[in-house]
Amino acid sequence: MKRALTVALLVVVAIPLLYAVAQLPQHGSPMTPPYTHISPRYLEKGPEEAGAENIVTDVILNYRGFDTNGEVTVIFTSLAAVCAVLLGSRKGDERPAGEPSSSAVPVSDVVSFVVRLLSPLIAIFAVYVMLFGHISPGGGFQSGAILAALVIVTTVIVGRKQAEALVPVRIRRLLQVAAPLTFFVVGVSGLFLFGDYLAYPKTEGQMWLATAWLIVIGIGIGVGGAAVLASIFWTMGDDS
Amino acid sequence: MNAVEAILRALTVILCAIGAFYFFIGTVGMLRLPDFYSRTHAATKCDTVGAGSILLGLMLMQGFGAITLKLIALTALLLLSSPTAGHALARAAFRTGLKPWRSPEHTEGEDAT
Repeated sequence: MKRALTVALLVVVAIPLLYAVAQLPQHGSPMTPPYTHISPRYLEKGPEEAGAENIVTDVILNYRGFDTNGEVTVIFTSLAAVCAVLLGSRKGDERPAGEPSSSAVPVSDVVSFVVRLLSPLIAIFAVYVMLFGHISPGGGFQSGAILAALVIVTTVIVGRKQAEALVPVRIRRLLQVAAPLTFFVVGVSGLFLFGDYLAYPKTEGQMWLATAWLIVIGIGIGVGGAAVLASIFWTMGDDS
Repeated sequence: MNAVEAILRALTVILCAIGAFYFFIGTVGMLRLPDFYSRTHAATKCDTVGAGSILLGLMLMQGFGAITLKLIALTALLLLSSPTAGHALARAAFRTGLKPWRSPEHTEGEDAT
């Protein structure tokens, strides 16, 4: 009975989905809307309409801001899910806490030296990618990944305790939620200032204002993404 | 195209060919070598010699300028990070007890595991 119901439900769900897929324009056809007017519009008007010379940034933060807003929320949710799964499963664990596993290898001098040599450069690069995402390739997501890599590699060298001390517990939660929060703040201020959620300033000759908003969102995504990735790494490290 | 340019272009082609060759060798080694250590050894060749000589070739083609500076920075990063990564991998594997592979004739006399 239950199985029959499941099958029936699946069929009921599948039919409209298949119908919708059949209605889609043929893949790669030049007559589809993206090719006829959307892409040319982005390419021609992007820099003056959306505030960034880098058209990718225009698309992900301005034209498709809603999409990216959802995306950063998904990233944050993934952190919540990882924490829920890993922290939840640890309750029944009988092992003594805080003891490093016996297989731990002491840090290599070579690795330690190279990481110490490179980390300032990595940090500068991350900030550059974050702040210049509107001009050159890059942006919040990329710089978040670079920052997180820096944090992870530092954790490997100096140990987790010291690395975590760089991000005080009090503001850690705030940093983890930085990306959705920035979007929310920018979106709501757009609602009040310009009449729409995630609306951008559109005054003629004041493109720098829209650019500034793009940069603010980029910083939010970068910091938030880095905090999320680093936290996932740390949470997984709890297990060893 | 004068003689100097022609020579530089030829050197670029040769260096890029060497780089491509090392990438090929590294990939084959990755797939065909018997154990973790030798595979790590093969893989690091790609990044150091392979990418290194390709970048060197590109520098010769570009001449002096901003792009060459970027290429130099990139080469320095590669030459620092790739061997370090290989070293860290091999060291961690060895310290945690992964035994290097030995040829079958070698192990016949000993207690084969």
